[in-house]
Amino acid sequence: MPVFVEDPAHLSKSRLKSDLVAHNVELPPGKSKKEVYVQLHLKHIDQKNAADFSSDEEDQVQDVAKPEDAEMPDPSGLTDDDLKAALLVHGVKAGPIVASTRALYERKLSKLLQSDGHYQLNGAEKGILYSDSEEEEENGEEDDAESDVALQPLAKWLHRKGSVLYLTITNISFYFSATRRRPIKGAAGRPVQYAYPDTAVSPTTLERREVERRLVPILIQVLVFLIVVCVLYLIYVCLWDTSFSPFVALLDSLNQMSDSEEGLLLQTEVQDTPAPSGQE
Amino acid sequence: MSSTSQKHKDFVAEPMGEKPVMALAGIGEVLGKRLEEKGFDKAYVVLGQFLVLKKDEELFRDWLKDTCGANSKQQGDCFGCLKEWCDAFL
Repeated sequence: MPVFVEDPAHLSKSRLKSDLVAHNVELPPGKSKKEVYVQLHLKHIDQKNAADFSSDEEDQVQDVAKPEDAEMPDPSGLTDDDLKAALLVHGVKAGPIVASTRALYERKLSKLLQSDGHYQLNGAEKGILYSDSEEEEENGEEDDAESDVALQPLAKWLHRKGSVLYLTITNISFYFSATRRRPIKGAAGRPVQYAYPDTAVSPTTLERREVERRLVPILIQVLVFLIVVCVLYLIYVCLWDTSFSPFVALLDSLNQMSDSEEGLLLQTEVQDTPAPSGQE
Repeated sequence: MSSTSQKHKDFVAEPMGEKPVMALAGIGEVLGKRLEEKGFDKAYVVLGQFLVLKKDEELFRDWLKDTCGANSKQQGDCFGCLKEWCDAFL
């Protein structure tokens, strides 16, 4: 076995390459130094062939294996067994690592290492990190889209609630202004108001909300908003309780009073007219 | 996942025998061609890859994407089809 006798360091780079390929070893990236090839050669081929190797090669093997513990191993430099062991460390029970599966397991390992190394990163940054392949990019976009979708109803809800609130507020103010002008039921004024707040809400409050959303966390916003909604709703209810129904009652009584006054007047007139004739 | 295609049902209904790779759900003409170019000409070859990946969905999806550029739905269809076939016949 000439390969066994020869010191790999004395082999040519192309010979090393072809040996590595022949032994089904993943080649290091294109512009690697000869040193890398020699190490791979020692690790993958000589290790297999020679049981009685001297200890310094074993040291080299260990040197190559050590970076694995140091968080950032190059998965392509590992042997099949090392790769399997490294995956097991990360809790993945790998299947057979053969030519058709090795690349997948390598990628899985580097993924795992990345997620370990950047554990504290938030999802968005992870998405960027992982966007090395198309499908994941799609997934990332989907995730983004999902978060957007998750936010959208809330934003819509906020806007809607905002406009509803605005409606109620304007309703109330309209109601009062209407009451001052004319003591008829508030329903008369409403159709006009619906058109009004739409234009009033969009430019001012929406813009303000946009700014606020970036300044304050959404949770606090929601909380504050809910409180405001509650308070306004209470005010609204109180106003309707105290003003509307009594107001209707007032209206009714006013109408009744005027009716009865008129009736009374008529009656008195009626009574007045026959009285003289009766007297006469 | 709630509804399966006719292709899926057909594939899962019987042993795959010598069916071509295009008989797999999610593998149409284009993906089938690409797989054939890479040597995966029969459904059982893809099954072999599926099994050697220990029926792991993530790995199989990755592999299918790498090999023939299948999209997410195609990956899912193919995986589901092989998984169900295995549950029935393996």
